[in-house]
Amino acid sequence: MEMAEEVYSNLMREIKDGRFVWTGELEPAKDIDEAIEAANELKGLVTACNVTDNPQSFAAINSLAASYKIQEETGMECIYQLRCSDRNRMALCSDVMGAGILGLKNILTLTGDYVSLGDTPKAKPVYDLDSTTLTRMIHTLVHEGKDISGTEIPNPPKLHVGAAAGPGMDPLEPELYKLKRKSIAGAEFFQTQVVYLPETIDRFFKGVKELGVETPILVGIFPAKSYGAAKFFDEYVTGVDVPQDFLKNLEATKQIKDKEKRKEEVDRVNIEYFTGFLEHLKGTPAVGCHIMAVGYPRIIPELKKIIE
Amino acid sequence: MNAQTPKPFEEVLEYLEGKKKIVLMGCGGCATIYHTGGIKEIDEMAEKLTKEGKEISKIGLPFGLFTCFLPMSSMVLNENKKAIEDCDAMLMMSCGDGLQAVRGYLEDEWGIVKPMYPSNNALGFSSGGPSDFIEECQGCGDCELGKTAGVCPLVRCAKGLMNGPCGGVREDGKCEVNEDQECAWVTIYKRLEKFGELDKLLEIREPHDWSKQSRPRTVTVEHPIDLLKELAGTKKVIESLGV
Ligand code: SF4
Ligand code: SF4
Repeated sequence: MEMAEEVYSNLMREIKDGRFVWTGELEPAKDIDEAIEAANELKGLVTACNVTDNPQSFAAINSLAASYKIQEETGMECIYQLRCSDRNRMALCSDVMGAGILGLKNILTLTGDYVSLGDTPKAKPVYDLDSTTLTRMIHTLVHEGKDISGTEIPNPPKLHVGAAAGPGMDPLEPELYKLKRKSIAGAEFFQTQVVYLPETIDRFFKGVKELGVETPILVGIFPAKSYGAAKFFDEYVTGVDVPQDFLKNLEATKQIKDKEKRKEEVDRVNIEYFTGFLEHLKGTPAVGCHIMAVGYPRIIPELKKIIE
Repeated sequence: MNAQTPKPFEEVLEYLEGKKKIVLMGCGGCATIYHTGGIKEIDEMAEKLTKEGKEISKIGLPFGLFTCFLPMSSMVLNENKKAIEDCDAMLMMSCGDGLQAVRGYLEDEWGIVKPMYPSNNALGFSSGGPSDFIEECQGCGDCELGKTAGVCPLVRCAKGLMNGPCGGVREDGKCEVNEDQECAWVTIYKRLEKFGELDKLLEIREPHDWSKQSRPRTVTVEHPIDLLKELAGTKKVIESLGV
């Protein structure tokens, strides 16, 4: 897939300029204030922030509205996440056209967790499009100025579409084929699920190369601000293995009574781990990192130092 | 077949509140296979309802007589016309198809309007047996199997995805939603790999055409089967099997 000629977002500009790009994550749940505060804290630390869409299938503030509000109020560029679980093709198309007039510059397409995972298990799951056909629909809107029915639209949205990837999936091959399919559909960048192990990264990039995918990829990382946060990932998120040493070192910090000292030690454990990881990442085709940790901005400058 | 499970007896009793004379009607098709409306289950239900003070008439259909196929079930209905005319309600021990086929027959052919209640919850098409069944097809009206290695992504994938696996596939290749089932897209991948057709996974599949499922769908068969002739054929096969 040829990359779009025009560049609409800072995210895409930095990727094209060949700079190592950092993105963050904002999770507006039932209230926007915390996300706005978090966006302010992340300003200057990351290029853009993902705004989650009904994460884990808990009904949350609409991600289109939240992305707009965050971008307006804080100036943080948003990557508006859009899942296939909750909207049919007509609603998805109208939301994307809406994103265009609201000035959003990036969309990340997602299949979305199944509805039974969250707080509305009796909802009718939609999945009228999948992440591939949603990506293609957005690409067609932007680059051909045609909506889902093929009707021409006068002012096509000016934005970039990205998609997700799972380097830790087992088996990996079906996932790699899907990644390739999404790049054919028009994905301009990928953000991956969280990875901790260098071997996982290597296996993934090897497969990506073999399939001839050249789309820029940001690797997802999760510096853990507490033992509990890392443990959750290890236990509940498929395709993510958290190294046992890292977990053990974080667990040990629970013994430290003094809050400040404990924070320092947690930071030290993270820096120690991610120094090795990021050094390794430098030798891969990754164009940046997507930092999925919410509420842990103080670690970011330290991580950036490692890359620089 | 239309898989089915019985409703809780309390729910059935609630429906029948205030109704005294009840006709129980089963089905010699799926409901016999699933033990939800065979002759034996009708007898059991009759016993339970009699204990609750109901007066019961039973219409059991032997195996092979489908309630949803009116050329068959109407013969049995006609034989039991009197009981049906006299009853306060019918309890249908079939799937929802059976209930509604009979409801329509009574209204359209006999001009009778009777309260009809279901004793089962139907789950839809399924295959397998004799004891384990799985849903494989939802009758979407636009079969995709030719493009998906003979595995239905609309049914076998909990999310009905047309273009490969979601991000939730479990570590052993099992589905995010049903951990007992292999992810449909892992199955499809394995099959295509065996055929040497993995490049098919790079073709973007169109979103499914749901207009073929706008409901209710109707079908007209041009030359309906001759029931007696078909049954004679079945009889021959059964005899040749030595049954
Ligand atoms: S695609 Fe699936 S649901 Fe549709 S007819 Fe084929 S098997 Fe049945
Ligand atoms: S794990 Fe596989 S079968 Fe299950 S919902 Fe995801 S793609 Fe569908």
